[in-house]
Amino acid sequence: MPTAAIDPPGISWLRVSPKYITVRLVEWALGNLVMVAVLSLPLVFVRLGWWRWPPLWLAIGLPAFMLLLALWRLVLIPRQVRAIGYAEREDDLLIRGGIFFQRVMVVPYGRMQYVDISAGPVERGLGLCSLKLHTASAGTNAGIPGLPAEEGARLREQLSARGEARLAGL
Amino acid sequence: MSAGGLASGKPDGEWLRVHPATPFVRGWVALAAIGYFFGRDSFERMLQGQPLIDDRIAGRAPWLLGAGALMLVLAVLSFILSWYFTRYQVAEGYVRVNTGFLFKQQRQARLDRVQAIDIVQPLLARIFGLAELKFEVADAGESAVRLAYLRIGDARQLRATILARASGVRLDPAQPEAAAPEAPEQHVLQVPPSRLFGSLLLSEQTVFIVLGAAASVVLSALTENRAFFLYLIPAALGFVAAYWSSFNKGYNFTAAISPDGIRLRYGLLDTQAQTLPPGRIQALKVAQPPLWRLFGWYRMQVNAAGYGAGANNGEGGSRTTLLPVGRMDDVLNMMALVLPDPGTADPLRVFQQGVNGMDSDGGFVTTPRRARLLAPLGWRRNAFAATDTALLMRSGRWWRQLVVVPHQRTQSIALQQGPLARRFGLADVVLHTTAGPVAPRVIQADLREAQALFDAQAARARAARRRQTSEQWLAQLDQRPTPASQQEGQQRG
Repeated sequence: MPTAAIDPPGISWLRVSPKYITVRLVEWALGNLVMVAVLSLPLVFVRLGWWRWPPLWLAIGLPAFMLLLALWRLVLIPRQVRAIGYAEREDDLLIRGGIFFQRVMVVPYGRMQYVDISAGPVERGLGLCSLKLHTASAGTNAGIPGLPAEEGARLREQLSARGEARLAGL
Repeated sequence: MSAGGLASGKPDGEWLRVHPATPFVRGWVALAAIGYFFGRDSFERMLQGQPLIDDRIAGRAPWLLGAGALMLVLAVLSFILSWYFTRYQVAEGYVRVNTGFLFKQQRQARLDRVQAIDIVQPLLARIFGLAELKFEVADAGESAVRLAYLRIGDARQLRATILARASGVRLDPAQPEAAAPEAPEQHVLQVPPSRLFGSLLLSEQTVFIVLGAAASVVLSALTENRAFFLYLIPAALGFVAAYWSSFNKGYNFTAAISPDGIRLRYGLLDTQAQTLPPGRIQALKVAQPPLWRLFGWYRMQVNAAGYGAGANNGEGGSRTTLLPVGRMDDVLNMMALVLPDPGTADPLRVFQQGVNGMDSDGGFVTTPRRARLLAPLGWRRNAFAATDTALLMRSGRWWRQLVVVPHQRTQSIALQQGPLARRFGLADVVLHTTAGPVAPRVIQADLREAQALFDAQAARARAARRRQTSEQWLAQLDQRPTPASQQEGQQRG
């Protein structure tokens, strides 16, 4: 399994819901289709003869290139979602993510200042939520997206309880 | 009336006002602006030998004067009202500050969460013997509690009181209301102005200016266009201002140690006295730009909670500086203050290797040799070493840098690997700390070493946190700390 490269050994990861792929697909569609549509406007204008610039090859090439990039990202989405994982250990929470740019992060329970749960419209429709952890450091960009709602609630309670028990100052 | 109440030993819990001269020291800019606005025209006329007021508006002069006077009165009144409604109180482990006339605001800060405390004296306040007391609690950004202005003696007294409460020092039970004595301090080092001047001349900024100037000369010779020297004038003014501000901020930099923490004093026109209580430094960086190597100079910067990320704006930039320029022994002295227990048998060698060394001397683990294509210069220098109390990370062959993070200050840790690093079997370990100029990162370590460090560091941070029981550094009682949200700003209409 290619995603196992930098993980600490002997950890059984909990994975996020496969339904989160849908959420990412919707986000992808909104973001990329709008962008490709906007980038295609010069092509339309050039074809209609309203604009002299840019040349036709550029007007075709740019949106085509962006479309290819977007499709590449689309193909990656399911693997990216499968790569997200988290594991509750005795004193800290591990979060991993990414395929090409892998990241494993450890957040001690005692360092957590607060835990956020949020759900966008698509997530809510699928019964998912996103959990975000905050420490005193802005660099702690620790979030677990695509959790089933009840799992998110359980995790939040669990994290709060453990954080309370091990709370340290700064 | 004023803060004299505290100094003369009045009981706790009394609401006090800041010094009555505050509105004028604060508002002089506004007064000067109004004066300038109305006075400039008349002054110009006077110089030209014309009547003081333009003939065309002479008939309306009383009205204009009246409007000006009204604005002046309103401005002064607003400053006086703001002074009148600003009150503060030190009681029951909290400092509370009430401000606002229409929009009232109450701020309170827990004393045992005080991260740093400054006494700031802008030039005008200094002339009047006044000072602003500013303290940071654990929070990023705009959370400083400010008290402006107090008499300098009162400000020192209040600082001593706050630090005494924050440190958990036991006051004399017979006289619980007596003012806390100021902690004795011991001089550590001073930066001579000549060295500060030299360091500015040899700073990175100068290198860029020289390069920029050379480039513009070459460009102008090539294009035979003389006009764009004009564009250099504002740039030059900007540079002069930047140099001046660095000099003004770093002038007469003095460091001292007291039981309350590290005291830093600096400033030519505006002076500032910072106190960093022990253990409040989250991360530390020793850096050496290439030209400083000629003289063996180093710069030290810190991350402290509450100082925020403002590394580039003037105030934050100077406040996060632990040592603007110093020699190796100064660096080691400061290091000893920040990290009283280095956690190693031979701290001198380890730190010197960290600042200047290469390869694995002093227990450092470097980037493996197979990655020398990826970091041809840096691979012998990129390294980390862990002592019992801190993690040391060094990097940079030309821009030498050593970052130190105490284990108990580690917030969270990430292990990262990109596609290129995977080819070479490398990984980065990133330590997250509070916002500031220091970004601790172990770059391009061997994957196995990085994984081991990731695990070991999580365990070490855990163990270090267990040892630290209290935020009150003098009274390490078994006191259960409460959540770090220590500020409640309330807004009422």
